[in-house]
Amino acid sequence: MKAARIKEKIIFTIFGLATALCVAAFATIAAILLSGLGTIKLEHLTKSALQGGYFEMIIGTLYLLVGSAGIAGPIGLLAAIYLVEYAPRGRLTRVIDQAINNLAGVPSIVIGLFGYTFFCRQLGLGISLAAGWLTLTLMMLPIVIRGSEEAIKMVPKSFQEAALALGAPKWKAITSITLPAAAPGIITSILLGIARVAGETAAILFTSCVLVTRGLPKSPLEPIMALAFNLYVKIVALGEAPERVFGIALILFMIVVIFAAAAITFRVYYRRRQLWLR
Amino acid sequence: MVSKGMKGLSKIGAMLTLILIIISFAAGYMIGANTTTPQTDGGEASWQTGSITIAGSTTVLPIVNACAIELMKMHPGLTITVQGGGTGVGYSNIIDGVIDIGAASREPNEKEIENAKKKGVDLWLHPIAIDAICVVVHPSVANASHPLELTLQEVGKIFAGEYTYWDEVKPGLPHKEIIVVVREPGSGTRGTFEEFTMKPWGYEVTSKASVQPSNPAVRNKIETTPYSIGYIGYGFLSDKVYAIPIAKEQGKPYITPTIKTITSGEYPMSRYLYLVTRGQPESGSLVDRFIDFVRSREGQQIVERYGYLKLPYLYPAS
Amino acid sequence: MLKKLKETTIFLKSLRAEPLGAPAFICASSAIILLFLMLIFIVREGSQAFLNLGAELIIGAVWDTNAGRYGGLPLIYGSIIVVFVALAIAIPIGVASSIFISEILPHPLRDPIKSIIELLASIPSVIYGFIGLLFIAPRIASLFGLSTGTVALTASITLAIMSTPTIVGVAGETIAAVPKEYKEAALALGATRWQMIKGIVLPASKSGILASILLGFGRAIGETVAVLMVAGNTAIIPSPPWNILSPVYTLTAAIAMQMGEAAVGSLEYSALFGLGLILFIIAFIVNTLADVVVTREKAKIRGAG
Repeated sequence: MKAARIKEKIIFTIFGLATALCVAAFATIAAILLSGLGTIKLEHLTKSALQGGYFEMIIGTLYLLVGSAGIAGPIGLLAAIYLVEYAPRGRLTRVIDQAINNLAGVPSIVIGLFGYTFFCRQLGLGISLAAGWLTLTLMMLPIVIRGSEEAIKMVPKSFQEAALALGAPKWKAITSITLPAAAPGIITSILLGIARVAGETAAILFTSCVLVTRGLPKSPLEPIMALAFNLYVKIVALGEAPERVFGIALILFMIVVIFAAAAITFRVYYRRRQLWLR
Repeated sequence: MVSKGMKGLSKIGAMLTLILIIISFAAGYMIGANTTTPQTDGGEASWQTGSITIAGSTTVLPIVNACAIELMKMHPGLTITVQGGGTGVGYSNIIDGVIDIGAASREPNEKEIENAKKKGVDLWLHPIAIDAICVVVHPSVANASHPLELTLQEVGKIFAGEYTYWDEVKPGLPHKEIIVVVREPGSGTRGTFEEFTMKPWGYEVTSKASVQPSNPAVRNKIETTPYSIGYIGYGFLSDKVYAIPIAKEQGKPYITPTIKTITSGEYPMSRYLYLVTRGQPESGSLVDRFIDFVRSREGQQIVERYGYLKLPYLYPAS
Repeated sequence: MLKKLKETTIFLKSLRAEPLGAPAFICASSAIILLFLMLIFIVREGSQAFLNLGAELIIGAVWDTNAGRYGGLPLIYGSIIVVFVALAIAIPIGVASSIFISEILPHPLRDPIKSIIELLASIPSVIYGFIGLLFIAPRIASLFGLSTGTVALTASITLAIMSTPTIVGVAGETIAAVPKEYKEAALALGATRWQMIKGIVLPASKSGILASILLGFGRAIGETVAVLMVAGNTAIIPSPPWNILSPVYTLTAAIAMQMGEAAVGSLEYSALFGLGLILFIIAFIVNTLADVVVTREKAKIRGAG
């Protein structure tokens, strides 16, 4: 018995160390990037790239994110509503389910290749913000669908049944009862989707970004500058020293972490509330 | 009570996030508007409010990038967009008419000439700088006190992997394995290097070679890797690598790459960098102005800053 | 057959009755349509390579586009060796962490630690590449006395850090889903916590852990930018083949680095789409397997309940 306890202690310590390693990895990455804090000045955030700032890259990145969330959000939400509320049990539903999982698993570089041949060349969008939106939508969609699905499922059935009993049609019960109750979960899923594509490079490599241009795009058919792309191109193609691009890496890291942290905190609160409701 | 409080909290959170997103968008538009408003005064020529797109060779890109930024600073109404890509992208896009200027570090190949002919496009190459390719080794192989000289064919043999150890190349060199560093396939620098040292003898780069994506990356690799050999542009030389004097063939003089030997044409491995247009650019157009700017005194200073040699016939070498 | 048709008609009618039904159905099926479009266009662009090169694209041993050699084997091998070493690091750490977090860690700490690991998953790959280049590569070089730190092992370590959170996330979910009653019963019978985990939790979440490993594999093999920045990008099969201190070139890196140089419509361009198709198929198989594993498990639980 005692031997078993000692064995248990050793095993648990090893497991604990594994977990500590994960946490330490994050801390190290954050520390390395934050050590570059001294290399950027606050004014660089609002200065144009023509003056050595990052303004267009930051806003360009946000344009990409907000635009693709604007497309993937509604489509993903509707798809989730279908899967939870309308989908009959059967082969078609299973195939849809699998397609979503497979879409989530397509490597981003392959999505980039497809985006280039289909959106840029076939649809004639060229290297543009719009092509970037559509390409990133492909990456965001599965995350939004899965997250919203879960959020809708977590709303107790009794809520909707009460409305149905009062004679409301199903769609009305969904829009006025289920969706408001699931809203925080849905927003979480969209935020997670944004965090996932915020630093995406491979998918926008051929589809929407340029090294430099003046200002921000005046229409979705113009290309943009983005943090992830510029970081990649500057290191890999232009061979700039890592110290000179530290600022871009740090800002990108912070944007992604802000979105991801917002989503995660949000969900933690939301889940707690759900537990108490039950 | 508690659950109600939590619900309120998450709703507030949702609102806050939405507001944040909206603010970021609005801020983008407002500040963006300041930087994008074209200032059109009646007296300005049309090119000063025009916009063009340039794409192509990563070798030429730093020059084009810096020149575009300078020109945009000088004329707040015009827009020059610089895309990445590679020489291949530069040629195919200029042939397709997707861009206004291509950047290339080599002349078009047969396939590209054929494509251009098919589409009835006249490719105009405008030289903007000279790039001399230097064969460099780590100081552990050769240095000022232990020099090493090679012919083009010997260089080719080394990169083809015909020697394993340095002392097989020339007696007196260390008995250490040769580490070959090359650029990625498609790179203009690689194309030119192989044109000079490998193609004439039908050599192919050894599959053991390490591939690096840029000139500085190759240099860093050579600087930090004992017994390595690679090739980089003249402007990327540093005092931590040794540039090998090269002879065109056995019996010809070995020439150390210097500005003088390169611009005089003595050094056997140099190439022009080009901007490429569809036909002759219309005089006074933005395309024309941009090329003029790159070839102006100011543009040529940028060329030198990025490690290339300015055009000798535009301004005498100082 | 007739019955099925009837069912479908009823289903479609029921959708029409609901104003939300039809658009929702269209959005959900868009996943299938998009997947098909993707396959069609990648096959279309890659067809020239398949027709001209055939099996060469998969089993050819030399990848040198300047010389017109498009053998994908070194790239496939590069991808596989990098991913296998990465998973050899990530699986033990990931599974151990997920058990620790959901079974051993005190409750108040679970959410914060889980959140940190999720943040780790959200860091963009270009930043992992940046960190790998700046921090991991020089240390690998000095540790093994290498002339260069951009080798398969560096890529594997970078990838391991990237795929661990995927494994922790999915495995953790299934471990947490093991019914409380089972665990309590085991403890009540006098089992230690470890015996309970070994005897109850692990067998019950076996397939979930397997699925998490498959998904981690999928994510790792499709990773592009981070790998490209640290793997050394040399299209060789290392000698000996298990030499992870040799630079390698992966499928994803070849596509990202060479798309810019390939003339549209050339054989090289087509060959790169061919590589894309290989990746697409690998990802498809891995995800379908993970799906099957999870579905079968769910059916088993439903059957038992």
